[in-house]
Amino acid sequence: MRITLFEQAPYRYLPADFEERFDSVCDTPYALVDPRRMYESMRSFLDELMVGARSGFDALLVTEHGQSAYDVTPNPDIVAGALAYATELEGLNVGIMPLGRTLGKTHEPVRVAEEYAQLDVMSGGRLIAGFPIGLGYDVTINNGVPPIEARGRYEENLDLVLRAWSDPAPFPWNGRYSRYPQVNIWPRPLQPRPPLWVTGIGNPRTMQMTLDRDFGFNYFGFSGAKLTGRRIFPRFWELVERAGLPANPYRVGFLQTIAVADTDTEADRRYAEHAEYAFRKGLGSIPGHLLGIPGGIDIQGLRAVFADPGDVGMSRQMRGASYRELVEAGAVIAGSPETVAEQLFAFCREHRIGNLHAMLGFGSLPTELVRENIQLFAEAVAPRLRQLWSDTDHAHHWWPERLGGSPVTTTAAPATTSDNHNERTVA
Amino acid sequence: MSTSLPSVRREAVTVLGGRLTVEVQIAGAGAPLVYLHQAGGFGWDPLLWHLTERYTVYVPEFPGTSPDDPHAIRQIADWSDLVLAYQEMIGQLGLQRPVLVGASFGGMLAADLAAHFPELPGRVVLLAPLGLWLDDAPVVNWNAVAPDKLPALLFHNLSSDLVKTVLQLPTDPEQMRARMVAQIWAYGCSGKFVWPFPEHGLRRRLHRITVPVLLVWGRQDRIVDVQYAKEFAAVVSDCTVAVLAECGHLIQLDQPQLTMATLDNFLA
Repeated sequence: MRITLFEQAPYRYLPADFEERFDSVCDTPYALVDPRRMYESMRSFLDELMVGARSGFDALLVTEHGQSAYDVTPNPDIVAGALAYATELEGLNVGIMPLGRTLGKTHEPVRVAEEYAQLDVMSGGRLIAGFPIGLGYDVTINNGVPPIEARGRYEENLDLVLRAWSDPAPFPWNGRYSRYPQVNIWPRPLQPRPPLWVTGIGNPRTMQMTLDRDFGFNYFGFSGAKLTGRRIFPRFWELVERAGLPANPYRVGFLQTIAVADTDTEADRRYAEHAEYAFRKGLGSIPGHLLGIPGGIDIQGLRAVFADPGDVGMSRQMRGASYRELVEAGAVIAGSPETVAEQLFAFCREHRIGNLHAMLGFGSLPTELVRENIQLFAEAVAPRLRQLWSDTDHAHHWWPERLGGSPVTTTAAPATTSDNHNERTVA
Repeated sequence: MSTSLPSVRREAVTVLGGRLTVEVQIAGAGAPLVYLHQAGGFGWDPLLWHLTERYTVYVPEFPGTSPDDPHAIRQIADWSDLVLAYQEMIGQLGLQRPVLVGASFGGMLAADLAAHFPELPGRVVLLAPLGLWLDDAPVVNWNAVAPDKLPALLFHNLSSDLVKTVLQLPTDPEQMRARMVAQIWAYGCSGKFVWPFPEHGLRRRLHRITVPVLLVWGRQDRIVDVQYAKEFAAVVSDCTVAVLAECGHLIQLDQPQLTMATLDNFLA
């Protein structure tokens, strides 16, 4: 199993009564920020990722969130660029995985193709490229994209990025959402095609798209994987089976918030307050209506969600969630190395997860504790998980060759992504 | 309001070279009147029933809001497509110089139809139309508002029987879900033309409207402030402005009797 380090870049010093005073973490007045503490939050975030790189994690993961206090990463490629160079300097053979640039919101898809290509060259072929569709409020309020166009824009932008990487000749792009008289980017990725990953929240259409295009599928367990895992992963594997594809666990990535200490009691004592900060002042402070802005979810999806809202897990209770509730829902897995390893092993085996993305810094957790969490996980938890799937003969097709993968090198044509939801039905 | 309501028939009109079929609800008798509904979908209300007594009222359902064809919205690429689709639809219905009435989002569309095609309408009635933008009085984007806060933005008279009836959800869980899904999807479809702003250059075209225009605004409009009335009136050459007291954004639901009287007076 591949084990990666995931971190977001929260501002770690929001006031304790933030949830009472502010409606959301997506329009937080910047006046709350002490610039020195913003520097410290950002510096710690980068330092901690480098601790992970030196501790043997297989890749470093970051996400993109514009205008938000819970993950101050408007462009993850800037962070990835710093990590790419720093890890080259130190000779650390670790994947660089922005999860990544949001193609549903971007007005500059060629820029995205260029940034990723440059990252792949800078890192010597270690880029693992994520292409999320985007969060409702970020696509619409922060970027002015009509929600009903996000999916069509995503698909068109993705086609453009893949062609910009691979077409040997300059070409014009007269798209519905962007138009370029010439596309001929320099550099191109070092890898024939960097491994591609899409993050989904349970929509079968997104899952199917990853199969049609031969991408990896990531699922984030923020809303409590003990509640949602048995819904999401069987749904995915059923689609894999229906597509006649092998049940290769390396297709799937799973992101989990993890808190390790010497004993279960010590983990609770050490992490409770900071885990509550992370969820109450993070996901819990993104109001539901800003994630579900009308038009972003197709009417068929709306019907499914209203009939059975189980995929949202405990998201709606997150704003006031206690540490105990977070642990019970599986939003956080906490405890001694034995406790944590046992739970993660069982979960990943049950759901055929071949890539575990360990979120080991979260919320207000001070940098010393983040480092200890990273190191203890690397020393005492990761070794117990690594052997999972090594007894199978599945190859990792969604991982760079330089890092031991055997990646897909052709750009698979989308087989079934065109349907009547597709914005490109417009002539 | 009459005690027995007229029957409603439906007509499907195909436009945009066959790409789009618009479902039109039709009721009443008399000269033609086209009503363009607000962003959240369409339902018959006292003003419209009242108009059916003197007019044949045509209500095109906004693309995507007809239950059998929710993806019709995907056939419309941009605002220009939409305006052309409505012009073609009115032509295909064979309506000569209809009265064109639009509310809120429908008012923006009605105003732009009249600006693009000055010969199309006989007269125009705009009920708190969108379509302009003032930096000092930004139009509230109802799509980004928490659902529980929306009624107080749309209505001033929240305790009136009509408003309460409009806001009442079905008690049957399945019907309630269906209603909520339809409402969200309707906002999503019209939302295609309200991001980032419900403004498509109308100000540069308003001078082209030559027919008489009635502009009605609620003084307590909390979606698009009443000061927008002045902006319209300053550019539209033949413009009558009526500002209704104790009235919010969805004018004919908030003040049905006053709205009827104001329209009757203008259309007499």
